[in-house]
Amino acid sequence: MAGEIIGDILRLTVLAGLGVAGIAAVLLWKKNLATRVTFLRFVIQAVSFAALFYVFSYTIPLLYVLIFVFVLSLFLGRFFCGWLCPFALIMDLESLLRRALKIRYRLIPDRFNVALHKSRYVIMLVFLLVPVALFVFEPKEIMVSPMMAELLAGHYRIYNVLIDPMIPFIVPWSNVATVNLAGVNFAYPYGLDIVTFTNEQIGLYLMAAFVAVTLIGAFLIRRVWCRFCPTGVSLAAINQFKGFKALPLLYVEKDEKKCTKCGVCKRVCTVQVNEVYEQKGGKIGTSQCMLCSRCVEMCPYEDALKLKLGNKTVFRSRNWLKQPNTD
Amino acid sequence: MKETTVERKYLPEMQQKEMDELRNTVKVASEKIIADNIARMKKADPHRPDAMKYFDDIANLFGKRQQEIEAEKAKGKKVIGYMCLFAPTELITAADAIPVRVNSGWYDTSKLGDRVVPVEVCPVIRSTIGAKMIQLSPFLEQSDALISVLTCDGMTKLSEILSDQKTIWGMNVPRVKDSTHSLRFWSDEIKQMKTQIETFTGNKIDRKKLKESIEVSHRATKVFRRLQELRKGNPVIMGRDAMLVNQAYSWDDKVRWTENAEKLCNELEARAAKKDWVVSPDIPRVMVTGTPMFWPDNWKLPTLVEEGNPQGIIVADEQCSGERILNDPIGVDEWSMDDMLNAISERYLMASTCPCFTSKDGNEDRINWLITKIKDWNIQGVIYYVIRGCMLYAMEYSRVKKALDKINVPVYYLDTEYTREDVGQMKTRVEAFLEMLNARVDF
Repeated sequence: MAGEIIGDILRLTVLAGLGVAGIAAVLLWKKNLATRVTFLRFVIQAVSFAALFYVFSYTIPLLYVLIFVFVLSLFLGRFFCGWLCPFALIMDLESLLRRALKIRYRLIPDRFNVALHKSRYVIMLVFLLVPVALFVFEPKEIMVSPMMAELLAGHYRIYNVLIDPMIPFIVPWSNVATVNLAGVNFAYPYGLDIVTFTNEQIGLYLMAAFVAVTLIGAFLIRRVWCRFCPTGVSLAAINQFKGFKALPLLYVEKDEKKCTKCGVCKRVCTVQVNEVYEQKGGKIGTSQCMLCSRCVEMCPYEDALKLKLGNKTVFRSRNWLKQPNTD
Repeated sequence: MKETTVERKYLPEMQQKEMDELRNTVKVASEKIIADNIARMKKADPHRPDAMKYFDDIANLFGKRQQEIEAEKAKGKKVIGYMCLFAPTELITAADAIPVRVNSGWYDTSKLGDRVVPVEVCPVIRSTIGAKMIQLSPFLEQSDALISVLTCDGMTKLSEILSDQKTIWGMNVPRVKDSTHSLRFWSDEIKQMKTQIETFTGNKIDRKKLKESIEVSHRATKVFRRLQELRKGNPVIMGRDAMLVNQAYSWDDKVRWTENAEKLCNELEARAAKKDWVVSPDIPRVMVTGTPMFWPDNWKLPTLVEEGNPQGIIVADEQCSGERILNDPIGVDEWSMDDMLNAISERYLMASTCPCFTSKDGNEDRINWLITKIKDWNIQGVIYYVIRGCMLYAMEYSRVKKALDKINVPVYYLDTEYTREDVGQMKTRVEAFLEMLNARVDF
């Protein structure tokens, strides 16, 4: 037992070490300031991918992972979505492929995009309210209803859907929704739930259809799932209200005086956030933003955009034509 | 020279003899003025950077660069002129053509332009018309086609007047900048311009070529920004020199310009390290904003500021003949054709702070940009330079004045004409302003 724990610690240390090495390599070798953070993000996404694989190889209740992510989002906004989510990694890799093929991405109309974004809260609410609704309809049977038990603890746990994007596409387990190729189990986010929530035979077809649709969608539209993924519910929606403004620790800040409104930030945004462009300076308080910092990276004016953690500037926009100072 | 068979709608018929005589007179005078301007710039800075020598050569409009373009033309390259900064030069270079800016800075030809348009019209327009009438401007004559961006009223009609003798491609600029459909409209214009350039030159603009061309611009912007960074500190270069360097980009070969500007920056950096200031760091730091000032004749304001008594130094400008040429890089996200074209159209339309635009909150970008510049470059006074007839700049003055009053930076409205007659009067005005700035510093 002790040996196992030491082994795990070792494995995690190696993983962390590889991550740090990857970050250092990017910082040292990636001279192009306009793509540096993007590469850095890929390294962190890969590390997080591996970390989640380890997390899932233990019998840690998935609910804890979910709680962790939501608490994280309380303070860091949708940092998880931008930098850690494995499903996003799949979509980003597809984007890379599309870029390599020199195919232009498609845009979703702005209004529809915002509507999609808002729908995530509705979806989330529906999942949370199912047990309550059942309670309303069958008040007496609340504790004994087998359906209730299923929803809260059984096979059809409602929060499963919220964890789904976190499932890396290589998983340590095997079930009906995984494909075993050369000893490695490949899964796909939401796959298992689609199969278990429906009849198994139809479920597999549905899952295949889902995989095809999301893969093609993410190929054509950048980060298509992130636009309405209910896991991405963020407390950034709350900090619009008075008293909650100080809640998010990590945020993008804009200095309007330095901005010439050249529109680069709007174009490079993978989820089509307009606020960075339109807002008149200050904190960018939209829960659409995933803090991926692509806009900060591409902004050509010194200090016009900043990614801040508390009062400290983590990363600021620079004249990316300049070579970075190596010292 | 291909004589047109089409009926001239605007330009008067001129005898060849008269034309030649006038051209020769103005040309000789202009060559003298170029030499004089450069001599004065040399005098102002006794140990002028060696790298400036290259730009002095290029500054002679009737010299090296004209012959070079002539030679390139003989080899079959096309020359595409443009009259406004909104013309996408990257597309021109990507199609193996030579972009040159053809706005005219000659005072004398503006008198000739009076024969076609009334004197109230902006002198830049009149002067360009005059230059065309006597075929003075080498670049205007050499260009096979002209891109005219219809920004202000003057430009709009100028393109019509010049269409008597030149192929003109108009580009429609949306006046309201920050709306999605404006951008879409402008992107379409850029795409159309691409097709037009392609058919005209016979060279297809493919992805690779356009990427190369954008990267050339990136390198130029990088050096340009480096030069402006150097001007942030204590003065290491005279404002006039830097302004000439910036303006030379609009007719020089881009790659060569970048190399030479890099040399200049290296030299200046060495100077800054040695604390070898070109003038005393205490003299007032002035910024010029407003109407473009075109080489060679329209150089009186910078000369007056930097040779005045008390002396001032121009450390920054906000003009489309100066820093606006290269300030903004083309922010390409993905190197696909569409994205590059979108990036180009955004860079030319959205990043510009030309007063021909308006938006929901007025032309706020320009005010913000001015204030940022004033803070970053540590500017003590702003000269708002307007040539009579430039409505857009003149009308925006009161807004700029109010905004700058708030941050307690004096701004001086200096209006003038394309003439040498008011130099004495301007000298008094500029010197009074500089005197005032000095007094403020003393407090």
